[in-house]
Amino acid sequence: MADFLTSTHRAKWVFTPQHLVEKYRAANQRARQVLEKCGATLMEIDADGSLSYPEPQIAKANVEKHSRTKPLSIDEEQCIRVFFENKIQEVCKSFHFPHKIQATALIYFKRFFLQWSVMEHQPKNIMLTCIYAACKIEENHVSAEELGKGIQQDHHMILNNEMIIYQSLEFDLIVYAPYRSVEGFINDMQWQEFCNADDDFLQMLKTLQDTARLEVDKMMLTDAPLLFPPGQLALTALHNSNALHKVIDFDSYLSSIFSRQNPVHRESEFIESLNAINSLVRKYKFPERKEQSHINRKLESCWGLSSHDESKKREKKSKHKSKKNSSEAQNAPS
Amino acid sequence: MGDGSSNRTNSNSNKPEWLQQYDLIGKIGEGTYGLVFLARIKSQANRGKSIAIKKFKQSKDGDGVSPTAIREIMLLREITHENVVKLVNVHINHTDMSLYLAFDYAEHDLYEIIRHHRDKVNHSINQYTVKSLLWQLLNGLNYLHSNWIIHRDLKPSNILVMGDGEEHGVVKIADFGLARIYQAPLKPLSENGVVVTIWYRAPELLLGAKHYTSAVDMWAVGCIFAELLTLKPLFQGAEVKGTPNPFQLDQLDKIFKVLGHPTLDKWPSLANLPHWQQDIQHIQGHKYDNTSLCNVVHLSPKSPAYDLLSKMLEYDPRKRITAAQALEHEYFKMEPQPGRNTLVPCQPGETFVNYPTRPVDTTTDFEGTANLQPPLPVSSGAGSMPGGHGSNRTVPRPMNVVGMQRMPHQPMQAYNLASQAGMGPGMNPGGIPMQRGVPQAHQQQQLRRKDQMGMPGYPPQQKSRRI
Repeated sequence: MADFLTSTHRAKWVFTPQHLVEKYRAANQRARQVLEKCGATLMEIDADGSLSYPEPQIAKANVEKHSRTKPLSIDEEQCIRVFFENKIQEVCKSFHFPHKIQATALIYFKRFFLQWSVMEHQPKNIMLTCIYAACKIEENHVSAEELGKGIQQDHHMILNNEMIIYQSLEFDLIVYAPYRSVEGFINDMQWQEFCNADDDFLQMLKTLQDTARLEVDKMMLTDAPLLFPPGQLALTALHNSNALHKVIDFDSYLSSIFSRQNPVHRESEFIESLNAINSLVRKYKFPERKEQSHINRKLESCWGLSSHDESKKREKKSKHKSKKNSSEAQNAPS
Repeated sequence: MGDGSSNRTNSNSNKPEWLQQYDLIGKIGEGTYGLVFLARIKSQANRGKSIAIKKFKQSKDGDGVSPTAIREIMLLREITHENVVKLVNVHINHTDMSLYLAFDYAEHDLYEIIRHHRDKVNHSINQYTVKSLLWQLLNGLNYLHSNWIIHRDLKPSNILVMGDGEEHGVVKIADFGLARIYQAPLKPLSENGVVVTIWYRAPELLLGAKHYTSAVDMWAVGCIFAELLTLKPLFQGAEVKGTPNPFQLDQLDKIFKVLGHPTLDKWPSLANLPHWQQDIQHIQGHKYDNTSLCNVVHLSPKSPAYDLLSKMLEYDPRKRITAAQALEHEYFKMEPQPGRNTLVPCQPGETFVNYPTRPVDTTTDFEGTANLQPPLPVSSGAGSMPGGHGSNRTVPRPMNVVGMQRMPHQPMQAYNLASQAGMGPGMNPGGIPMQRGVPQAHQQQQLRRKDQMGMPGYPPQQKSRRI
């Protein structure tokens, strides 16, 4: 939709850094309490579609057996999310989905795990369901079956999780990714600022845009999409891209933008955002494999999936073969 | 509110908490998407306020949550306008994964208003009312189009009018199950399948256009305008059922009969439309010579009303008048001027009609949720129903012709839906019910059976693809 200004995205899903930390902490805290109480944290989707934490019987056994099960720290949760956010980009690329779908799926995934801890819902299932939902919302429908087939997963798991995702997203399903804003700024540069453009210049703008897209790809893997509106992300990406290619005089372009805007946004404020976004990208780190598998083991034991007989019981109960699937994905090298 | 804390369900006869907010009055409509119920709010704050609850069936191809429901929710979450219905609440019935959308209730719709004039009062709708209805419809549509939303199913039954109350006589555009954003689509719009009920379907759609624009809505508005004037559908074509494409020969024939044949001269891109090229004999042949829209709608060819109507029914979608332009048309500047209460003329002397209230089938329970309360001896709404069970047994309105069901459902006035989808603090952040083992519904199967005719506009079993 055209109007970001009146969107739920702007009204509800752009946070301050403090607020974001609080939300991560709250989800982590809740999972910790469940672990203490029930011995395991993974929520199950029942036949009737409702969700529940592990039953007391199982929980009891778990408490005794795994009394030393440790919850994930907030940083460790972050590692798990980072891993699966990369997976989203991979899966979308392998299906040749447009960038818009990849970005929508990523934003859904990020928003979902603001509400829940990775200890409560298996991120792999959520990731696939987010991709499925993104296809549906962007009117690029792909059946759950086909999506499941393409990645050798049981598609029922996708369908089981779909409603929980919409609900956790509070049904705010229209999201604004920076890719389109990049396009918008490029058009703007072309038509309003530099209308005497020749073919060479147009080619350079194309290069500028391509590199900016890659810059956005990087931002999409950080918390930046939850902290900044898409226009600021796009402009930062173009700034970085231009620093490399030196296509336009970026400072004067910025001035021209802000002179056209009402005084709501000031250039100095944007420079602050730009620095903050770039710092998030710089600090981004993909977890090392050793660290990753250590966290995975911890996570599986939080889920209550580490012991064989326990997992068998659970497998029978839940429709999807959570244990098998999860360990496959987790151990797979990225 | 909403599904928030239904985990306390078990203590209360298994009736989901969200449902306990309402007294069910009965069923007011039915369509391929599901059912619409009338209910009243129980809570202190809005006690007795009427709400229309639209229940969506599960998508029939076993592919998750109904895209129709999802479209409606995601669009209505983002828009606010006086002439567009507003979603008050979304509820999930986890038992069968069906969605319930709660709207403020609108007592009337254009289908009923037109029918009442045609069958009961036997005189046309007064000029003030026609003009005000049209103006508000265009006003809502202009808002949608400027937000890149095409409605794609405008017809009299989807244009609601508020009954008694602060918003008496205000128009609300409803039913966004086929609506979509057309800005930068990833695929051609035609891949969404057939859109717009046949009588209101624009010629470019009938001729198989792959891409189309908000102009399809303006054609439908033109048809509705004519219907308000004459009390009968302007182009009443007979539908050939079960075709996977929007081509309908009889419908085109009806249009040609009134407007004459389109020509490449007046509509250059006609040459690119698949069905224009394919069916030379019927489509390109010139059967009708003496055509006259003004006779059909009984308007002087020099009247502003006729001028506006003919601009809405322009063949070439690029030349067709837009909602924004139409609002500026001379027709709206001359007396009587359009007003906010479309049903009550401000000028004394004009007659105004008391429109009947919507028929309610009080024998129908919320299907699919009734099963959540097996211990209850009566259906959820029966206890509070005025007149009690069966005393006012009104069969829901018959489907309106050519297989297109009426989709009466209701609008507006939203509270912040944000809070309702859950996300409260504590152990249940999704606000997702925690009860276990509620028996599965057998009603589901009944619903599925009714759902077998294809949903107009829903992608016809479209095989998904990797692009």
